[in-house]
Amino acid sequence: MPRFHFHIVEDGRVITDEEGQELTARDAVRREAVETGASVARDAFIRGSASRIIVDVRKGDEVFLKVSISLTVEG
Amino acid sequence: MTNESVMIALITRLRTTSALDDEDVQAIRSLPIVVKHYQQGQLIVRDGGRPAECCLISQGFCVRSKTTSNGRRQILSIHIPGEIPDLQSLHLHVLDHDLVALTDCTLGFISHVSLREITRRRPNLAEIFWRDTLIDAAMFRDWIVNVGQRPAPSRLAHIIVELRERLKVVGQVQGARFEMPLTQEQIGEAMGVTSVHANRIVKQLRDDNVLEFHRGSVRVIDEQKLLELADFDGLYLHQRPSL
Repeated sequence: MPRFHFHIVEDGRVITDEEGQELTARDAVRREAVETGASVARDAFIRGSASRIIVDVRKGDEVFLKVSISLTVEG
Repeated sequence: MTNESVMIALITRLRTTSALDDEDVQAIRSLPIVVKHYQQGQLIVRDGGRPAECCLISQGFCVRSKTTSNGRRQILSIHIPGEIPDLQSLHLHVLDHDLVALTDCTLGFISHVSLREITRRRPNLAEIFWRDTLIDAAMFRDWIVNVGQRPAPSRLAHIIVELRERLKVVGQVQGARFEMPLTQEQIGEAMGVTSVHANRIVKQLRDDNVLEFHRGSVRVIDEQKLLELADFDGLYLHQRPSL
């Protein structure tokens, strides 16, 4: 099974995922990335510790997919 | 393993939390018990199962969990030696969640028939077991607040402080270190976040010098920071008979 690493970037601060996870389906990787991004963003946005979260998923050394979530408050 | 040694943690715990007298202790010791060993990850009672006995943890850790129709698992509670996580099955006949061995476990099974007999014969014990299931419910209320309202790092800190306070009662905390056998994935399942998010929080707590996670255990580095983060008031554990 291929191993995927989910690195989290919070306003440019990188939190690397050394362990990674074994996942087979592309869908499962996407779901894990979107859900992780959403829940990390929830905490960070409420605390005000970051306003842009990126989940950078690598398969080996190559970029597999990226999820990007930004906070915009208007008015 | 003798019946007595299987019962030790239960008796220690009930003596701390409830008004257990010597005759109650004798009665508990006389309960027929069947000792079995379970392996890590093994299902003890499944959601929908109809057990005819209750399960006392003598050694090891268990969790209660529920899985949604699309396969997502929520860990509802973590159980330690001296606890009877399915005591409710004495009165609620079909189990409404799974009971799973989190680590290799030594479990003592006590039949519903003998538990019913002992509680009818000794009303004090009936009250103590009733109180035990009420404390169980109080812990679930706290767990709802935790998962629903606290940011993820506080959620994990809270779970860990609660676990420590309960382990203390049965003498399983040595200094700053104690057992916390949840994997990263299981931490996520307890907190309602993904495994990757759980990993990020574990790292944050380590980098902020709050907690250090080892394989199967945790060590407190900064007690004050931990308590602040955990937002913990242990009243809901009702660990004294007067509470």
